[in-house]
Amino acid sequence: MACENKFTSQDSRTFKQRDFDAIIVGAGISGSFIANEMCQKGLKVLLLEAGKHFNKNTYPTREIDANSQLYWSGGIELNTSASIGILRPKGVGGGSIVNQALVDRFDSIALDSWKEQSGVSFFTQKDMAPWYDSAEKELAIQEIPEQYRNGNAKIFQQGFEKNNYKWAPLKRAQKDCHFEDGNDCIECLSGCRIDSKQSMGVTVLKKALAKGLYLLPEFEVLKVSDLGDSVKVLGIDVYGERRTFRAKKLVMASGAIGNSKLLLNSGFASKLPALGENFYTHPQSMVLGLYDQDINAHKGPLQSLKSDDTTFRANYFKLENVFAPPVAIAMLVPKLGHYHLDKMRRISNMACIEVAIRDTHAGKITTNSKGKVQVHKELDTRDKETQEKGLAAIYRIFNSTGAKEIVNGSFAIGLHLMGGLGIGTNDKKSVVTPDFNLHGFKNIFAADSSIFPNAPGINPSFTIMALSKMASDKIIRSWQ
Amino acid sequence: MSLDTETDLNLKHARPHAISSSDDPSSKAPPQMESAQTGLDFSRYPHMQKNLSLHLPKHKAMLSKYMSKRQIKGLIKTGDSIIPGDGKNFPAFSETDFHYEIDRMLDFMTEDDRQGALMLLGIFSFLPKFLITALLLFTEKSHLFPNIVAAPLRMINIGIRGMIFTLYYSKIDDQKGQGQKIMDAMNYHTTIVRRDLNATSGSQDVLDYGLYIAPSSDNMKEIYARAHQSEKGLSKMPLNMRLKYIEALKTVILNKRGAIIDRIQLETQKSRSDALFSEIFGVLDHLQFLCQKAPKALGDAKVKTPIVLMGKKSRVVFGPVGTVLVISPWNYPFYQAIVPITTSFVAGNATLYKPSEFTPLQGLVEEILLEAGFERDWIQVIYGDGNTGAQLIKHRPDKIFFTGSVATGKRIMAAAAEHIIPVELELGGKDPMIVFEDANLERATSGALWGAMTNTGQSCTSVERLYIQESIYEDFKKILLEKARDIKQVVDDNGDSDIGQMTTTAQVEIVSKHLEDAKSKGAKILCGMEWDRKSVKIPPIILENVSEEMLVAREETFGPILPLFKFDDESEAVSLANDSEYGLSASVWSKDMKRTERVARALVTGNVSINNVMLTEGNHHLPFGGTKLSGIGRYKGVWGLQNFSNLKSVISESMSSKIEANWYPYTDEKYGIFDALTETLFKGGLLGFIKFAVLGMKLENYSNKAGKKGRNRSR
Repeated sequence: MACENKFTSQDSRTFKQRDFDAIIVGAGISGSFIANEMCQKGLKVLLLEAGKHFNKNTYPTREIDANSQLYWSGGIELNTSASIGILRPKGVGGGSIVNQALVDRFDSIALDSWKEQSGVSFFTQKDMAPWYDSAEKELAIQEIPEQYRNGNAKIFQQGFEKNNYKWAPLKRAQKDCHFEDGNDCIECLSGCRIDSKQSMGVTVLKKALAKGLYLLPEFEVLKVSDLGDSVKVLGIDVYGERRTFRAKKLVMASGAIGNSKLLLNSGFASKLPALGENFYTHPQSMVLGLYDQDINAHKGPLQSLKSDDTTFRANYFKLENVFAPPVAIAMLVPKLGHYHLDKMRRISNMACIEVAIRDTHAGKITTNSKGKVQVHKELDTRDKETQEKGLAAIYRIFNSTGAKEIVNGSFAIGLHLMGGLGIGTNDKKSVVTPDFNLHGFKNIFAADSSIFPNAPGINPSFTIMALSKMASDKIIRSWQ
Repeated sequence: MSLDTETDLNLKHARPHAISSSDDPSSKAPPQMESAQTGLDFSRYPHMQKNLSLHLPKHKAMLSKYMSKRQIKGLIKTGDSIIPGDGKNFPAFSETDFHYEIDRMLDFMTEDDRQGALMLLGIFSFLPKFLITALLLFTEKSHLFPNIVAAPLRMINIGIRGMIFTLYYSKIDDQKGQGQKIMDAMNYHTTIVRRDLNATSGSQDVLDYGLYIAPSSDNMKEIYARAHQSEKGLSKMPLNMRLKYIEALKTVILNKRGAIIDRIQLETQKSRSDALFSEIFGVLDHLQFLCQKAPKALGDAKVKTPIVLMGKKSRVVFGPVGTVLVISPWNYPFYQAIVPITTSFVAGNATLYKPSEFTPLQGLVEEILLEAGFERDWIQVIYGDGNTGAQLIKHRPDKIFFTGSVATGKRIMAAAAEHIIPVELELGGKDPMIVFEDANLERATSGALWGAMTNTGQSCTSVERLYIQESIYEDFKKILLEKARDIKQVVDDNGDSDIGQMTTTAQVEIVSKHLEDAKSKGAKILCGMEWDRKSVKIPPIILENVSEEMLVAREETFGPILPLFKFDDESEAVSLANDSEYGLSASVWSKDMKRTERVARALVTGNVSINNVMLTEGNHHLPFGGTKLSGIGRYKGVWGLQNFSNLKSVISESMSSKIEANWYPYTDEKYGIFDALTETLFKGGLLGFIKFAVLGMKLENYSNKAGKKGRNRSR
């Protein structure tokens, strides 16, 4: 009868509460941060999450289960032209379960671009700083000490230096990775089993649950309604039963695709002309370099270094030093049969660098008559050129460090899902106001990556945290 | 407790655990918890030591809930096209058994994606491998085509390669170790050290069945919480999906029958033939019945709607009751586990199963269910004694199915009364066999002997009173005794044994008591007098001169004792047979089929075999259950399935604006019409029918108008 225990999530069968101060859809980074802020103020909050609630003892340990159970649609989703693989996390903690927890504040390039596009005045370093600081207090942040950087990082660093590219150590939201134990943190791509990665479950959600948060996992919201002075949420629980919850306020925190889909299916398109527009995804192309020597990119810390180059930034791309477990690598390596086996055999001789582009060609999220979401996203000529520049840089890095062979990943992936509910002052061109409520709806809010007006070219998660802190403050004030 | 650690032949598993305190009056168990195993010399049964553990390969008999055989073929073929293996370190896809794990992916895909993928695999199954390879390579050239062609090509590429690579490279923990072999081939090894557990994680998941020993009431709450959770999923699972699991279970039992018989034999001490015939064969037959008949039995049943309710549709909808508690006995521990469990499951219920503490068959049911693909919490096994049963009832199952003694049955019914829980009780019997003078003696004697001695007499329906018509008594007795002396009694290893030994020492004591009592009151022991009154190896014992005051005449002996009685005529036979507090089954033997029919109908009992014995139970289409102290309810057959269900009557019509005749206002005018209509309807006759039709219309029109107008409302 764990359901009565406030410190864990609820079981729909015994969960009797129906009315709340606030309902938050999506227990990702934004949802968890906002839930915590509200619970600390004593509000009665229901946090609904379509995915499962795992912890360090229950995270899937096999790629087949991780891919199936930590992402929507059982793994990879595709844009309409099937040219970009979209990885949309599903679960309590959202992206913070499967990401690399990189902590980066936006620079002026990103913030200026946002201010210009959206007309929102607080997109400046000065205005955002206190909120970044506030978010930072919730996390332990570390860099990877040099002696633990693995073979992949060494190639990255060498290649950068040989080509005069600037690199920097990464800041990660992590606490005690205990690399001295020989931990191979590629495994944390499916959840950190040593509670080091600062996922929501070990940070703000833990605090929120201790303060009485109602967390209901495996509950998929199907429709939201605005009733004027309150809101209503209809969804389906793990037992297949439909349930309705009511609250005074609603926070949409299910990401760019989730929020757009939900609002579109709830009939908000007519009131919000920009709903679903301006979708961006920092398309990433991974490239593998094959070497004679062992690189063992899967050992030790997965990511230690990043590119920190003003030329790259000016050219709208950055390079990341990543790797992936065998199934993902197998998907990236093209073809099949003996060619494929030959490459897989040399997985421990692989280094990997990806180019993430700051896409400028806006995409769009729509839903069809059956309510199924469709992601329209293409790379235009400019975005393709950016990609080529990034790839060229990667080839130089690999060639200058002695790679014997270079294998281009067979398709691009999109991990940073942004837009659809862009923030802005113009209600025809944006969906969310600078007070974080939907234009025309004073009781429905959003502060996650869906409100990004365009692609910043920088990892979103820290900014999502800062914006969510800001939004929580505004939402709570709006009550008083 | 991990499946993998049960490879060693741990005979401890075969012994029931000493569980409850002995001073609980609700427990029938003797304090020392001994069973026939005590003093058993295992060295005499070497064959048992071979197969004791049902350590099963992780092959599921039911490979996938979603894939047809053709699609599986396509999956394997496609796998080999994509991963042909290198003959050294990388096995070919088909050399692994990874495709058995496909549901781990398919369960989480969207319906559209899944159907699309499976359809493709179905198509691929028809193509030669080189063509599949060529097609997949072709999809890599998508950039040459406009999006309308390129997009589907890319989707096929990602979908098919994704499926195969996910199965192959996920380090699936297969029996053959191929998952690890592939990691070794790539020199890809990762670890996470869990300091908090002092262990290295990333290893195999431990299979935890939740075997409970002496559960406390806290455990009870968890047990029921899990059951309630399962209920929801099971009730939403379509019936034909549930039957797939049954089909898989049938295959598993069939394949494992040798090892299952070994376990049954070890704990019950019955002969292998008894185990094969009654338990294995019976169970398989029942599972086959379920697969064949459940859809019709549990499908919506249209029911006639009488003419007064014309236009409405009536039906009975069968649904689950919720959580069913099955408490099983020690005499047919496998049969009495699987049959009610599977009936409960097919009806859509979650099941709690408590085996007898004497024959727990620990781990057996869990293993075969798991291999058949059942999820752990659908059927929970709880070990314990009467105390455990009482606790389970206290926490309110939605139905109780109990097989066992009358004394315990009464206690269970009383406990169930507290919460109005429906009970089905399969209790004891003192079954009669009636042989008329025109019966074929060869056949009837063989039947009688088997009916009395099968399972060493430890059957609820065994023949415990043999009524022989006076005129053939001596001849019958002579042949019967010859055959009885021929009985081979050994706990065998090859099937060459008629009966085994008694299962519990408590029952041995009861048999001894009945025998002594009979002897002291003047019964004549015709055979089996050599028994020392103590040993578990009780031979066939046939008695005559048995009188009504003897225990053996009225109380269930549940052992290989057969008392013989004489009768004069048909009415006396029926009268004697019915003169019992029990009424479970009976048999009547005669050439005269009219006589057998009369007697069969006159007998107060739940089952009659005519010119055979104990055979109604052999037909799984027939329901089974008793009268009087033999119990309440019927299981097996269509009735059994429906008894494990909730019958919901549904009557419906489309929405209209009509006001019904039986609704307000009840005016005197309406009274008149209705009264006239009542008369014409129930009087009958053709004229009446016409009158009824006229009156019916009148009533309907009047009611509708009056209902809308109301008495006092001005409308």
